[in-house]
Amino acid sequence: MARIIEFRDALREAMSEEMRRDPRVFLMGEEVAEYDGAYKVSRGMLDEFGPRRVIDTPISETAFAGLGIGAAMMGLRPVIEFMSWSFSLVAADQILNNAPKMLYMSGGQFGCPIVFRGNDGAGGQLGSTHSWCVESLYANVPGLKMAIPFDAYDAKGLLKTAIRDDSPVFFLESERLLSVKGEVPEEEFVVAFGEALVRRPGTGCTVVSFGRPLYFCLEAATILAEEGIDCEVIDGRTIRPLDLAAIVRSVRKTNYCVVVDQSWPFASVGAEIAAQVHKACFDDLDNHVVRVHSDDVPAPYSYDLEQQMLPNTRKICEAVRSVTYNA
Amino acid sequence: MSIEITMPRLSDTMETGSILKWNVGEGDSVSAGDAVADIETDKATMEMQVYDDGTIARILVPEGQTVEVGTPIAVLAEKDEDPQEIAAASAPPLEPAPAAQEAPAAAPAVPAPDPTASAPTPATAAPVPAAGAERLRISPVARRLADEHGIDVSLLQGSGPGGRIIKRDVMGALEAGRETAAALVPSAAAVAVPTTPVELSPAAAVPPAGVRLEPGLVPLSNARQTIARRLVESKTTIPHYQVTVTFNVDPLLDLRRVLNEQLAAQGVKLSLNDFLIRGCALAIHQHPEFNASWAGESIEIHGEVNIGIAVALPPERGGGLVVATIRQADRRGLREISAEAKHLAEKARTRGLTIDEMAGSTFTISNLGMFGVDHFTAIINPPNSAILAVGTAQELAVVRDGQIVIGHEMSATLSLDHRIIDGATAAQFLVSLRQLVESPATLLV
Repeated sequence: MARIIEFRDALREAMSEEMRRDPRVFLMGEEVAEYDGAYKVSRGMLDEFGPRRVIDTPISETAFAGLGIGAAMMGLRPVIEFMSWSFSLVAADQILNNAPKMLYMSGGQFGCPIVFRGNDGAGGQLGSTHSWCVESLYANVPGLKMAIPFDAYDAKGLLKTAIRDDSPVFFLESERLLSVKGEVPEEEFVVAFGEALVRRPGTGCTVVSFGRPLYFCLEAATILAEEGIDCEVIDGRTIRPLDLAAIVRSVRKTNYCVVVDQSWPFASVGAEIAAQVHKACFDDLDNHVVRVHSDDVPAPYSYDLEQQMLPNTRKICEAVRSVTYNA
Repeated sequence: MSIEITMPRLSDTMETGSILKWNVGEGDSVSAGDAVADIETDKATMEMQVYDDGTIARILVPEGQTVEVGTPIAVLAEKDEDPQEIAAASAPPLEPAPAAQEAPAAAPAVPAPDPTASAPTPATAAPVPAAGAERLRISPVARRLADEHGIDVSLLQGSGPGGRIIKRDVMGALEAGRETAAALVPSAAAVAVPTTPVELSPAAAVPPAGVRLEPGLVPLSNARQTIARRLVESKTTIPHYQVTVTFNVDPLLDLRRVLNEQLAAQGVKLSLNDFLIRGCALAIHQHPEFNASWAGESIEIHGEVNIGIAVALPPERGGGLVVATIRQADRRGLREISAEAKHLAEKARTRGLTIDEMAGSTFTISNLGMFGVDHFTAIINPPNSAILAVGTAQELAVVRDGQIVIGHEMSATLSLDHRIIDGATAAQFLVSLRQLVESPATLLV
């Protein structure tokens, strides 16, 4: 029996279920307890789990990210909420220089089973410093895992897997998706890392993306279908580990590939996937891989400019037409 | 103001042109109308005229280079201008293409500077090919599919940016079954025609023992690519069939001898082919399907009877063949047809034909009689509905009026588009043509 719930409720169900299941799991971040979370993701969790397991922090990402890493090293399983991944930049030394390297640097003595989660990408007119897409910047670092849920089902299933994982997991949500409703099963389930999902089957062109831009990909696919271009939209779900095999299977079938990545183009996840597809599918490609990114500029505040800067349906349609020689 | 001379569009389908030869050098004065260069297009080699008086200040594209239509190829200084100043101010010329035998290390590591670089070009368009313009562009999957299906990619026309052959082109060729037909082209494409009989040497030259042929690859000229593409298209899309007859040409040979004797002083020398051009043009009037084109939803009957004659080109003009058009051949006398056929064949072999001189044929004749060929079949020249392949007038023991006598017979084989012309119709056309050829006085009036 499935229920229709919001994306934010799916996140809370994942955390609450894992906290009931494992006493080592706790939630920490700005306003996660008394205020029910800045985006009401942790609504009611303080009441159920109490202030020892749902912890409000001062406004210092450096401090509470580091605190979480220490707790993880000592055997707990923290979930650290960043109100926005844009704010995680001040904790770069903790989350990039310590967490992902701990197991390696300690010769296996200390692991770091921690989840960092929060809103990633443009929330809508938040300006240059608060509209970060951190996936390309952070995915560069070995030792971490990175998941980007598309809907309520994946939000719950992937977050449960993240909490159970022994590596630091960077869990990238979208403020724009928190209210989107989706079907979630009543019964217990998890979504494994490294298993991409075909969101729309097709034979004409492979379109690979993660998270929110997938909605634009699906919209573009509907428009393109009317033009006779049958897109296969693949949700990568996790960037590390990347399910390259699923992408390759699709490209071998379609011979064309568009990668939609909301980070900036230079040295990005999109560039990485394009390079891997070029290598794995060289003899299957009828054109080079085409990438759709945010434009290579700081996010503008103006609504219209921001929409033009982000990967959008128009850009994706143009990319697919171009790669399939239908421009 | 100096005048930029750009690669002209000399035919509707021309995308690129090659400078075969510059007839002028930098510093030469030219007048409007002067033919300054020979340009090879996809269809023909043509003279390029200038439209202004002045001095050639700079040649930007050297001989042998292929550039896109619209690319600047030279700069002309006007009368009151200093050519040297103009030359200094103009864009740098294209690098000459590296000679084929040059070591790879000597080739430039980066493409030659593109003189059109400042002009905005669409993002998907390839840069103007400079050195090595003939390199085959093909996507990896197109290459793999072509290999898997044994398709000769050199015969394909790429539809991707910069002429890149893409999957669609290979699959299109596959569906059209071109790869099988392409294999037939070399043996069947040799249609042709000098107007004077070829001297057959008594003994073929035999090479010294042990000498082998030099293996290698011959790059395709624009003309060869066009011939290949059109013949493959014809052979693969038109349901060809052939009908052969043999004409008694004794009366025609007698008539021709008499006419040529009487007209020799006027410089007239009629060939058998001239009579056939006239004969076919008249026969077409009784059978308009032979003056028709397949138009998909309908059959288009043309109002003018324009007879194409296949002309073989000498090696120095790149070989291959072109079809010269004798317009309104049904309304012109033998003498006029003969003069025009001779003029066009000569021009084709020496200077090349203009697009107009090659366009608009409605029926084609290919004659290999002068090579002593008994009979052969030809590939229809689209959008014609038929082509007549003519053999030699052979001296044979023939039966005339119940007696075995020495006579002359000539075979003629029609290749027909069965979508337009059925077998019985073809036979009826040949009956009409036989009446005209075997009672040739009709051809004179």
